[in-house]
Amino acid sequence: MRPLRLHIEKEERSVGMKVGRRAFLQFTAGVVGGTLFTPLPWKLAADSAKWTQNWPWEPSPERGEITSVSTTCPFCDGGCGVNVRLVDGRRAILIEGNPKHPVNRGGVCALAASGLQRLYAPYRLKGPMKQTKKRGDVDGFQPISWTDAIAELAKAMGDLRGQGHPEGLACITGAPHNSMYALWQRFFATYGSPNLFSMPSELDGQKLAAYSVFGKAAPVSFALERASYVLSFGADLLEGWGTFGRIQTAYGMWQEKARKGEPVRLVQVDPRCSLTASKADDWVAVKPGSESALALGIAHVLIREGLYDADLASRTFFGFEDWTDAQGKERKGFKNFVTAAYSPERVSEITGVNPDKIVEIAKDFGGRKNALAIWGSCNGGVANPYHQEVAFIALNALVGNLKPGGMLGITPDPPLGALPDPQVDAVAVEGLKRPRLDMAGSAMPPLPGNALHGFLDGAAKGGGYSIGVLLVHEANPFHSLAENNLYRAAIEKVGLVASFSSYMDETAVHADLILPNHAALERYDDYTCLAGAPYGYYAITSPVLPPHKDTKHTGEVIFDLTKGMESLKDSFPWKSYEDYLKDRVKGLAASGRGAVADKGDETPWSWMPGKGPEVNYKDDADLWKKLAKGGMCWCDAQESLLEDLSTQSGDCELASQVLLGRGLKTDKDEAYLPRYAPLALGGSEQDLPLLLLAYRLPNIASGFLPNSPFLNKTIPDSLLLHDDQFVDVHPKTAKSLGLAEGDRAAIKTLQGEAVVRVHVHPGAQPGVAFMAQGLGHAAYDEYIDGKGANVNTLMEVLTDPVTGLGVAWAARAQLRRV
Amino acid sequence: MSENGHAKSGVRYGMVIDLDKCTGCMACSVACQQENNVSFRPDESNKLRSITWMEIYQLENGEAFPEYRHAYLPKPCMHCDAEHGAPCTFVCPVNATKRDEETGIVGHVYPRCIGCRYCIVACPYHARDFNWWDPTWPNPMEASLNPKVSVRMRGVVEKCTFCSHRLNDARAKAFLDKTPLNEVVYTPACAEACPTKAITFGNLLDPGSEAAKLSKDRERAFRILEKLHTEPKVTYLSSHKWVRDLADKSL
Repeated sequence: MRPLRLHIEKEERSVGMKVGRRAFLQFTAGVVGGTLFTPLPWKLAADSAKWTQNWPWEPSPERGEITSVSTTCPFCDGGCGVNVRLVDGRRAILIEGNPKHPVNRGGVCALAASGLQRLYAPYRLKGPMKQTKKRGDVDGFQPISWTDAIAELAKAMGDLRGQGHPEGLACITGAPHNSMYALWQRFFATYGSPNLFSMPSELDGQKLAAYSVFGKAAPVSFALERASYVLSFGADLLEGWGTFGRIQTAYGMWQEKARKGEPVRLVQVDPRCSLTASKADDWVAVKPGSESALALGIAHVLIREGLYDADLASRTFFGFEDWTDAQGKERKGFKNFVTAAYSPERVSEITGVNPDKIVEIAKDFGGRKNALAIWGSCNGGVANPYHQEVAFIALNALVGNLKPGGMLGITPDPPLGALPDPQVDAVAVEGLKRPRLDMAGSAMPPLPGNALHGFLDGAAKGGGYSIGVLLVHEANPFHSLAENNLYRAAIEKVGLVASFSSYMDETAVHADLILPNHAALERYDDYTCLAGAPYGYYAITSPVLPPHKDTKHTGEVIFDLTKGMESLKDSFPWKSYEDYLKDRVKGLAASGRGAVADKGDETPWSWMPGKGPEVNYKDDADLWKKLAKGGMCWCDAQESLLEDLSTQSGDCELASQVLLGRGLKTDKDEAYLPRYAPLALGGSEQDLPLLLLAYRLPNIASGFLPNSPFLNKTIPDSLLLHDDQFVDVHPKTAKSLGLAEGDRAAIKTLQGEAVVRVHVHPGAQPGVAFMAQGLGHAAYDEYIDGKGANVNTLMEVLTDPVTGLGVAWAARAQLRRV
Repeated sequence: MSENGHAKSGVRYGMVIDLDKCTGCMACSVACQQENNVSFRPDESNKLRSITWMEIYQLENGEAFPEYRHAYLPKPCMHCDAEHGAPCTFVCPVNATKRDEETGIVGHVYPRCIGCRYCIVACPYHARDFNWWDPTWPNPMEASLNPKVSVRMRGVVEKCTFCSHRLNDARAKAFLDKTPLNEVVYTPACAEACPTKAITFGNLLDPGSEAAKLSKDRERAFRILEKLHTEPKVTYLSSHKWVRDLADKSL
C-alpha cells in the first residue's frame, strides 16, 4: 500500500503546481472574455494608428480667422487682379483671381497660383550680404547691416563721381513698365550716367518700329477682344505672349463667342506645333525666321487683289506709293516694292508655304471684318529685327486696322503727370555727354534702343570706358539672358556688382553686394501700362504682409543713396516708396481722366477714342484708396492713333523718314521699307547642320523668377526626366542622326554645349531642335538647382543693324549621341 | 435608394471641362496643389510616384508633321456615380473611401486608410496617388499650408475631393443663414483658377445649373471610359472628333 500512498501524496502535492489542461483552457477563455470587456486593446489599437499616422514632424496648419486681401498680382507685368487669402492676417495661404477685375475676371496663371512658394521660399535672402571671398563663392557671403551695405555702395558710387566718371555706373532692371523705372531714370539723370538698361524684351523692337511708323516709341496694342480673325505670325499667344491673364481671358471669350455662332478664327504661323498652333483653327508650318516674308507675301496678294484699304492708304500712308526724298530723288514705295519682290511663288520658296495657301490666307484675312495680324519673336524674350517688325505693322495698316477704333494702335501711357524737375550738376552733365557704352566703341545704329547685349559686349571688350559699378534690379541676366555668356564676360571687367534680388539667384551669387528688395506681396509697386492692351491702364500692388526678412524696398535704397550725395538729394524728396507712388497717383488724379474699373462688368477694350468712362474717383486720396487698398485698376479709352501721329511727314510712314534722316549705310530704296532681311547665323551648316530654337511654356518660368516646386510637378516626363531636359526633334531628323526616344545626346552650338535627351516629336519641324526655356538653373535650392539645361547658354545673339538690339532667332546646332 | 441602401439626395456635384477652352496652362493643377496642401519632392519626374490631384494629360492625334495636333485634358477624380459604388469604394477593406450619398462626392478618410492601395488598382482613371514618403516642406514654406485641409501622412492614399472642405464651409454658412443646404453653390479651386473659364462646377441634378446644361451638350459632351459604366461625374466637351474618340481608350 505504501508505494500507492506515496504516489497519492505526490499527486496531491502537484495539484497546486501544475495547471491542468482544463484549467488552462478555462483561464485562457477567461482572459479572452475579459479583455473583450475592457477597452484597453481598442485603446491601444487606436493609439497606435494615431502614432503611426500623426507623427509630430507632420505639419498641422495653424487655424485662425481667414480673410482675403485684394491687390494686383506682383509676379509679372500682366496686371491681373488677385485676392490673397490670409490666416489671422499673418500668413498667406492662397492666391486666387479677382472675379471683378477687368483683366483676368477671376482666373490666374500657374505662376501666380504658386506664388506663395516664392514668398516662403528657402532661397530668400535673410538680409544684406557681402562677398568676402572670390566672386561666385556662395560660402563667401557674410551678412552685413543695411547701414554698412548702403554706405559701401554709396562710397563706390561717390568715388566714380569724384573721379569725374559717373558714366561708369550702370543698371540692368527687369521692371521696365513701372514707376521704379522712372525712378531709375531720374537717378541716372541726376547721377550722370547714360547706362540704364532693362532686360531685353520683344517690346524693345516693337517700340522702335512704332516710333519709325507712328512717331511714338510705345508697345503696339492689339484689340484681340474685338477681333474675329487673328493671324498670328509666331506669336506664342497661349504660352505667354503679351500679358498672360488678358490673353487667356480673351481666348476663353473667343470660345464663348464660337458657341453663340460668332467664331473667332485663329491662324497660327509657326515652325513648330506649339500649344497655340495646336489650339488654332489652322496651323501654317513655316521655316524658322521666315514669318515676315509670309506677311509680305500676304501683303502682295492683298494689293494685287485690291483687298486693301485704298482710301486709308492714299490719305494717311507715307511711302505706300513711290515717293521723292528731300534731295529730289525718286524712290520706290511699298506698293511697287512688295508687288515686285514678294509674289506668292517667291515667298513660298522662302517660307515653305504653298503659294495657293498664301493666296487663301490673304483672301481670308483681307475679306474679314476685324481681322488682326499679331506677331511674336521666335525666342520670346528678345527683340525682332526692325524690318520684320515694320512688315507686320504694314500688313495691319493695309487692311485698315489703324482707323479710329481699329484693331491696332499704341498702348497708351497713363497721364501720371511729370515729377518735379531733377537738379543736374556739372558732373552729371559731363557724364551724360558720354555715349552710352553700347555705342561708345562702335558706330551708332540709326535707331538705337535698349541694346543690353551691345552694352555687355562693350563692357567685356572694354572698347569705350570701364564700368565701375553695375546694379542689377529684379533681373537674373546670369541665367535668363539670351546668350548669357555675354553677361558673364562683362562682369569680369566690372568693379562692383550689386544685386537687389530678394532671392539667392545666379546673378546674386555672382554679385559682390546683395541688398535684397522686399519680396513680391511684401512691397508697393505699380504698373504703368498693360503692354499690348488697347486701353490705358494703371494699377498698384500693395503689400499684403509685412516683410518677414531683413529686406528694404529698392526704391528706398535709392532714396538712402541720394541722401549722402549732396547734388542729388534735393531731387529725391520722398520718405518712402509709398510716398513716391502717392505722388504718381496724385498726378493721375489731376488729369481728371479714366475711371477705376471696379464694377466687374467693364469692357475697356470696347471704349472708343474720346468715349472713355466717366471719372468715378473724387480726388487723389480716393483714387489711392481704390487702387492701393481696393486692388482694382484704373482704365481709360485709347486715343485715336491716326489723329495723333508724330512722324516727320505727319503720316503713317511705311517708308521710314527717320531712317532716311539718320543715314543708313546703304542707299537702296528697300532699306527704308518693310522687307524680309534675315540676319545670317554664325557657324557653318556642315559642322552644325540643325537649327536650335527656344520656346516658352506657361508652366515654366523663364524670366526673373524661377520655377516653383508646384510648377515642376506639371512638367511632363517627356520634357524633364530627373535632371535631364529633352529637346524635341522630328522622327526623320532623329532617325537620320541615329537617335531614338529618350537617348542621351549632346547639343552643341557656337556658344556652348549641353547634354540633353531626345524627344521624338511629330510636331517638330524636320531639321530643327526645339528646347524649352527656363530650366538649367545653378542656384536656389534642391527643387530648382541642376534641373535641365539652360537654352540661353546655347543661343546666338545677333545685332540688328538698324536698332543695334540683340536678336536671337535661332542658333546653328549639332546633336550627337553621347 | 441606391443599391447600398443609402438614400440619394437631389444633389450630385459634378464638373464639366471644356477642352476647346483649355490651353494646358496648368493653373488648375497648381491652384489645386496650393489649396489642398499637396506635398512635393525635389524630383517630380517619376510620374508614378508624383502626387497630383488634378493631372493634365496630353492627347495627341497620331498624325505626322504638319497634321500633328495635341490637346490637353485636365483630369481630377471622376467621383463615379455607379449604383453599386465607385470602383474604389467597392474595394476598400476598411471603409476609408466612401461616397457621400448626400452630395455624390467620393471622400477618403486618411486616418482610416491602411495603405493597401486596392483603390489605386481599382480606379480606371488613375485618380489616386499614394504617399510613399513623409510629406516635407522646406522651411518656411509650411506657413503657406491651408488650415482647412489636413496634411496627409506617409502610407495613405489621397485624391481629389472636389474641394469638399469648401462645400462644408458653404453649408455651414447656409445653415447659419437658414437657407436650404441642398441649394448650396460652391466652386473648387481648379474651376476658380482657370483663366479661360474652361471648368464649370455645379449640381448636375439641378436642371438650371450651368454644369447640368453643359453636360447635356449633344455634339461635344463625352465622358472618359464610359464603357466601364462607372458613371463619372466629370464631363468633357470638345468639338474635335479625334479628342472625343480618345475617350474610350484606357488612360
